[in-house]
Amino acid sequence: MKKFTIPGFVCLLCACSKTVKLPLNTAASQVVIQGEVTDQPGPYTVQINQSVGFYADNTFPAVSGASVEISDGTTTDSLTETSPGIYTTHTLQGRSGSTYTLKVGIGDSTYTASSTMPAPVTLDSVTFDNSSRFKKDQINAQANFQDPPNVKNYYQFVIYINGVQFTKDIYAFDDRLTDGKYITQNLRMDSTYLTYGDNVRVNMFCVDANVYNYFNQLAQSNGTGAFNTAAAPGNPTSNISNGAYGVFSAHTVSSNAAIAN
Amino acid sequence: MQRILSTIFLLLPFLVHAQGRPTVSGTVRDAASGETLIGASVLLAEQPHSAVLSNTFGFYSINAPAGHYTLVVSFTGYKTDTLPIELSKDVTLDIQLNSAGAVLQEAVVSASRNNNNVVKPLMGVQKLSVTEIRDIPVIFGEKDILKTIQLLPGVQSAGDGNSGFYVRGGAIDQNLILLDGATVYDPSHLLGFFSVFNSDAIKDVTLYKGAIPAEYGGRLSSVLDVKMNDGNSKDYSASGGIGLIDSRLNIEGPIKKDDGSFIISARRTYADVFLKLSKDTNTNRNSLYFYDLNLKANYKLGEKDHLYLSGYFGQDHLGISNSFDLTYGNSTATLRWNHLLTSKLFSNTSLIYSKYNYTIGINSGNNDVGIESYIQDLHFKEDFEYYLSSGNKLTFGADVIDHTISPGVITASTSSNFNSLNIQDHHGLESALYINHAVSVGDNLNIDYGLRAGLYTVLGPGTFYTYDQNGNTLDSTNYASGKTVVNYFNLEPRFSTSYKLTDNSSIKASYARTTQNLHLLSNSTSSNPTDVWVSNSNNVKPEIGDQVSLGYYRNIKENAYELSAEIYYRYMQNQIDYRNGAQLIANTNVESQLIYGHGRAYGLELYARKKVGRLTGWISYTLSRTERQFPGVNNYSWYPATQDRTHDLSVVGIYKLNKKWTLSSDFVYYTGNAITWPSGKYQVEGQVAFLYTSRNGYRMPPYNRLDFSATLQGKKTKKTDSYWIFSCYNVYGRENPYSISFQQDPADPAKTQAVQYALFRWVPSVSYNFKF
Repeated sequence: MKKFTIPGFVCLLCACSKTVKLPLNTAASQVVIQGEVTDQPGPYTVQINQSVGFYADNTFPAVSGASVEISDGTTTDSLTETSPGIYTTHTLQGRSGSTYTLKVGIGDSTYTASSTMPAPVTLDSVTFDNSSRFKKDQINAQANFQDPPNVKNYYQFVIYINGVQFTKDIYAFDDRLTDGKYITQNLRMDSTYLTYGDNVRVNMFCVDANVYNYFNQLAQSNGTGAFNTAAAPGNPTSNISNGAYGVFSAHTVSSNAAIAN
Repeated sequence: MQRILSTIFLLLPFLVHAQGRPTVSGTVRDAASGETLIGASVLLAEQPHSAVLSNTFGFYSINAPAGHYTLVVSFTGYKTDTLPIELSKDVTLDIQLNSAGAVLQEAVVSASRNNNNVVKPLMGVQKLSVTEIRDIPVIFGEKDILKTIQLLPGVQSAGDGNSGFYVRGGAIDQNLILLDGATVYDPSHLLGFFSVFNSDAIKDVTLYKGAIPAEYGGRLSSVLDVKMNDGNSKDYSASGGIGLIDSRLNIEGPIKKDDGSFIISARRTYADVFLKLSKDTNTNRNSLYFYDLNLKANYKLGEKDHLYLSGYFGQDHLGISNSFDLTYGNSTATLRWNHLLTSKLFSNTSLIYSKYNYTIGINSGNNDVGIESYIQDLHFKEDFEYYLSSGNKLTFGADVIDHTISPGVITASTSSNFNSLNIQDHHGLESALYINHAVSVGDNLNIDYGLRAGLYTVLGPGTFYTYDQNGNTLDSTNYASGKTVVNYFNLEPRFSTSYKLTDNSSIKASYARTTQNLHLLSNSTSSNPTDVWVSNSNNVKPEIGDQVSLGYYRNIKENAYELSAEIYYRYMQNQIDYRNGAQLIANTNVESQLIYGHGRAYGLELYARKKVGRLTGWISYTLSRTERQFPGVNNYSWYPATQDRTHDLSVVGIYKLNKKWTLSSDFVYYTGNAITWPSGKYQVEGQVAFLYTSRNGYRMPPYNRLDFSATLQGKKTKKTDSYWIFSCYNVYGRENPYSISFQQDPADPAKTQAVQYALFRWVPSVSYNFKF
């Protein structure tokens, strides 16, 4: 529903596409923090990097020497930098219903964020949808699960194809229009990335509203294709204070896998 | 407001009897078809200030002291008619003008030369007749009024091949588009590549972009008033066209000779027929087409009464192999009654219905879901035109529209992912009273001033929410059916004046306030049939626009060339934008997704037109700036709106090579839209995310295009006519970017790239048009 666009006409018009080099500015490098606490056994990590220019390689300089803490309200775990820019917890164990607070100190700046881990929802199975569009057959994975009634639920999906994370699309979903339903959520890809026989693992996260909003906004701003672009893309609203980019997410994980057929 | 109305009606009898001068009045028509002519110039030669233009029903009225006069009637493309009349008492005189035809003789063509553009006070007005647009090349060879007006100064195209347009920095939804008085909510077919106006059915198109007359209200930036043909009241005829994309058929004839006629125009595209030819079962099960139907009938009930009934019905259909289908379209109906109260007082009463709706059906896997949404108007309008004395005319009237908006009803099967949902309808009553006085002061000064008093009443039933700064719900109140939630009252003064410097030059100035009570929500780059209309509410305030403009007009070589320069400044309040990641579809709390700010637009428009001779055409150039200011966007500083275009140039040339061939060409250049592009990137969840520093901080590359068209005239007799149109859109095949998107480089995952999409390169077309 959300990705409602009209793909058909474009094919008829044979929209021609080409790569262009644009005179893009390079913004001053920004602090990007990604952290997570899950209901799976720890340790959990917080990763701190810097942003780079659009035409630079996808290598993001690590931010070392930061002080990083995660607190569950009663105990505070001080994280250790185990490799450059990656900070790891020691004893913390994530639990549904708990609120976690992240505190990061870099030089004179302090960044804080908090996230509440929702109740878990089980991902029953992964199935496949062989849809046919104007051009060719396409296989998409589907996540099957029961949405709990009378409560707001926010989901995020991460797909691994033959053990490699699929990073071309972002899947955030909420039960605004589907509360209490048994849901078969199509994890639609913009092109043919799945082939028969692929091992497809789907991790379903239950996230809180702020984390959902973050990924939903990110998905809308990152749309590709001739008709898919948002009129005014922007930076997603982060739950981290003090202007840092990235997100801190306390979520549950339910995982399932199947062979594409 | 009631007081204003009762004052008008109290004064009316006094005004009617105050004038003791005899009147000549009647209707101006085409001699061959009986079609009424809108905007024909009628004057008494002995009284140069007596000139009037026939109104939208072809009616004119002139009064003068008793005596012998010569009545001169002229209209573009017609031979001027001169009639001696004796005025001792009121006379009714219907006039039939003969078409000047395709004859090139100077004597005939000069008949169409007038200097109305110089002497009339209205500024920022553009008129087009359908015959004028026939020779201008357009995409797919389908002559299209919405694409032709984009070649005029101050009017900008919303995109390559798109029928959406921006007027003087206004947004697409700030144009009031009327078809025989009925609002057309979505004027486009097929994602905007066709307009809903079938030019076979259209008689007259007027675009008001500056001083909008007081009789029009409800939109901020412009009014596009489209009038349908009445149908041939003399004889039956059929005409049509066969093109690569669509075919048209038009049938018209008398109901009773000279007293009534009908017209039926139909059009359908057949791209889907080609899909059916495909051997691929996935492709041939897809469908994609639109059709539309224009119907009109009129009947003269007597010397003083005339009845008109017109309707439009159009629908687009897009289906993807039985799993998805989208149907959308407009329907309108207009019943109008012209009544002549006295020979000086003309009344028009209209009952209008208008509806736009879309339905979506999704049938895939376990999902069986239907979504439906509509906006519907019931509209009553009463207009009076009172011809006081020469150069002295009063127009006044009242207007009531009942709006119903159904933002979305979802019906879902029990096995489906979705819950059924019925978002409450929104009801509103938009009423207005207006009065306008056009008067000549002395020989050189014309003044047109008026006032529109508008009231928008938001009505129950429904739950109305209030939101905090971040869009979180604070409170809600329930209102019963018919209960007033909130009233918005606005006074809209309108003023324009012209001062004649010489016989062929003038200066004009105008001011107009306009308000808008319905707002279109659309947050994608292309306009979507599923974009949502919202009305004023406790949260959404009426948009208010104030515009001043100033212009200089000059005709040279006996009105063969028209030159004009206009400058304008417009300030807009209560403009609407969206929060990050706004959910606009099927959202009960859609108003929580909105933010409000201001806009301003200013510019210079230059226009030069050659009206007569073998070579005709125009050059139009606009230098402009359009900016917005919103809390939370770019630190609340002014930033360029999407439609901010510094330069916008159109050149149109039409050359009559000989009796058979007419060649034409147009060239368009404009600065690219302001757009938001990334200024960096970072990584989240293993994915590359783009970093944005400012809204609309970049520019799309400039747009330019050259089109060419040739018309081959077949044998033409009194009754039959046929011609071929060959055309090529974007002759030099420039890849004008439709959109640019940013993505991972498929060849090198360590890189990101920008990909540009272009739609139309070298679109050739041919169509055959006939009439018998």
